Amino acid sequence: MRQRRLRIVAATAAAALLVLAGCSSNSASSGSSGGNGGPAEITFWQSQFEPYQQKWFKTYVDKFNASQTDVKVKYQVVPGDTWQQKLKAAQAAGTQPDVATTNYGGIPAGVANGQFAELDGMLPDKAWSDIKSNVAGFVQVGGKHYAYPMLVEPSTVLYYRTDLVKAAGLDPSAPPKTWDELLTWAEKLTKGKVKGMTIASVAPDIGWSSWGLQYNACGHLPINDDWSAANAKDSCYTKLFELYQTLFQKGWMPQQPKVGYPDATPYGQGQVAMMANGSWAVGQLKQTFPAMIKNTAVAPFPSVDGDATKPTATLGGWTLTVDAKSKHKEAAAKFIDYLLAGDPAIMADFFRQSGFSKYTVRTSVDQALGSDPAATSDPFMKIITDKVVATGKAEPAYPFDVSLAFATAIESVMKGKADVPGATQKASDAIDRVIKQQRLKGTAPKG
Amino acid sequence: MLDTSTQPTGPVTQVTGPNGPSRRRRRRDAKVAGQVPRHLRAHLTAYLMITPMVVLLGIFVIWPLVYAFYLSFFEMSFYKDAEFVGFDFYKFVLTDPEFYESLLVGLKLALMVVPTVLVLALLLASFLATLSKRVAAFMKTTVYVPAVVSSVVAAIIFVFIYQDEGFANWFIGLFGHGPVAWLNTATTALPAVAIPAIWLGFGVSTLIMLAGILDIPDSYFESAKLDGANFWQRTRYITIPSLRNVILFLLVSGLTLTIQEFQLPLVMTNGGPVNATNTPNLYIFNSFRDATPYATSYSLTAALLLFLVIGTISIVIFRVVSSEKSSDA
Repeated sequence: MRQRRLRIVAATAAAALLVLAGCSSNSASSGSSGGNGGPAEITFWQSQFEPYQQKWFKTYVDKFNASQTDVKVKYQVVPGDTWQQKLKAAQAAGTQPDVATTNYGGIPAGVANGQFAELDGMLPDKAWSDIKSNVAGFVQVGGKHYAYPMLVEPSTVLYYRTDLVKAAGLDPSAPPKTWDELLTWAEKLTKGKVKGMTIASVAPDIGWSSWGLQYNACGHLPINDDWSAANAKDSCYTKLFELYQTLFQKGWMPQQPKVGYPDATPYGQGQVAMMANGSWAVGQLKQTFPAMIKNTAVAPFPSVDGDATKPTATLGGWTLTVDAKSKHKEAAAKFIDYLLAGDPAIMADFFRQSGFSKYTVRTSVDQALGSDPAATSDPFMKIITDKVVATGKAEPAYPFDVSLAFATAIESVMKGKADVPGATQKASDAIDRVIKQQRLKGTAPKG
Repeated sequence: MLDTSTQPTGPVTQVTGPNGPSRRRRRRDAKVAGQVPRHLRAHLTAYLMITPMVVLLGIFVIWPLVYAFYLSFFEMSFYKDAEFVGFDFYKFVLTDPEFYESLLVGLKLALMVVPTVLVLALLLASFLATLSKRVAAFMKTTVYVPAVVSSVVAAIIFVFIYQDEGFANWFIGLFGHGPVAWLNTATTALPAVAIPAIWLGFGVSTLIMLAGILDIPDSYFESAKLDGANFWQRTRYITIPSLRNVILFLLVSGLTLTIQEFQLPLVMTNGGPVNATNTPNLYIFNSFRDATPYATSYSLTAALLLFLVIGTISIVIFRVVSSEKSSDA
């Protein structure tokens, strides 16, 4: 009896030890100290993008590690849809990465939370002066730099199939300039199994991809400038709701989209004749659907009233930031300096690999690409740079909850669940709640 | 589970001989008297047995839960000091219309899935109970196969079935009906998500019901058959009342699991269209999306409130379907 009891207790203790061992195996060792002559180890988390980006990062991380012995970078790719959860879990455990990809919109909130280290003084002055003027403000809060920019990519560009357009009796050299014209084109291009166009159709996608169109329709976002109250019931937004609603309810866009807004696969596979997508889609088409390139043309997304000086896209993009709690801030800054702010040829290589679907933020890289025939002869780059990036606005810095509230209104009108007044009232109430609960009033970044 | 109903409660009954407690017992009592309280003495083995589990539960379940409740009174940040906000986050969650909408979606989903699963399981289990051993073994394996399929895989398969040119639209096309956007129409999205949930869940329920049915003494059925009862009457008057505890267990576990259904709506619709399939867990998961301290504390509080809601529902069900000991125990 006693033997049996002992055996049971021993077995349970062993089981408990196994459970504990299993639970603790996830704790990664964060950067080890550089201390006595060994290299400072820093972890770098890259949000997963197109395969060529991972390849490019890996190449240059390896080159950086090989070129010097002070800093060793551990490179890790993290899928975008689990990024927030993994990052927060790492922050809770104290194992957050030293360097991470951060988008422009996330910088003000991160600085307010004390998450990012100040980079002034850790990167040479010429790195800061090299940044182009339309982007310089994106990485600064209160006059101090908290991130180094890598690229900009406008969120909304119109892509269309020149062959299908010709077959429908339309002129491919005269793309639609107004939203009404766009709807006419979408109607004429919907034939058989091919739908006229595809655009974001679920609230999380509409949330950020419609920022440019919100600026276009009303000249402002659904919140007032000092973030003290919602501004979603403005009547100029009605045309925006009607655009999405008509496209969906008339069946000129896919009724059950298979992929999210940023994925160009339906266009690449010929399921739609036009596509609203970011500039990154050029890269995806070139890599995965090269046959479509010769039949594709791009244009700025139409303006609500045809005014081409109004913005239609926001300039999204990515930066690298250093964590405020990093134990190796200088080493991390050294890595960022090498990769993003150093030899222009490194970034020029990046833009080449992307098929010129992303756009530069440094004057020196512009010059490096200016002498590259592949860049200057690219059919899409010039149109996007001159007509889309030129009028592009910065992404808003408020919490995504605000954008989601407005996008839910768009989606509910689009899918017939509510009418415009009801939906905008609901969005307005939701945005007011966000402002109150997250104490946004007066925290809008100035300038 | 340990049936303690036949053990004495209160002080241990003394073994008495003709001269009172035996001498050996008196000596042992004298030694132990000052050390272990009397009423615990007889249960010492039992307590020793459950100690490891209680310790583990305490460290990994009870303590984090208590700490989570404590943290929910702060706006947590990993970079700054936490700010005490009292019941603010509870107020925020309880005044959020989307929280209640998600609870409603969870309940609707549970109402679609759980009764269907119970009925299907009961019918199938009754049928399985009538089969010969070999055929039954084969059928039991087949019925259990959906339960081992990953819910993500099942979700993806059903997404293909519901596609514009998928199987579902082909099928209704045979009857001349136009294609339906199953996952993108507010009215059909939740039933469309309920179907894979039923498919995944009924295997386990069938086997549990079968175990319960096989426990019912054959004599009941035989005498019912002699009295001329048909299948439906036997089911209604014998099977279902005897399965009361099993049905209660399946009801409570089915309800709590289905309200917390997360992978299916995440993969199939991500809560859309317009929150029609936004189950509570998905709502909490999505509220974690922002990098702000507000979002972290908000998700934490919403998760704790969900725990309270589901706990309440379970208690209500226990009261309504009052459990009693089987009459054949």
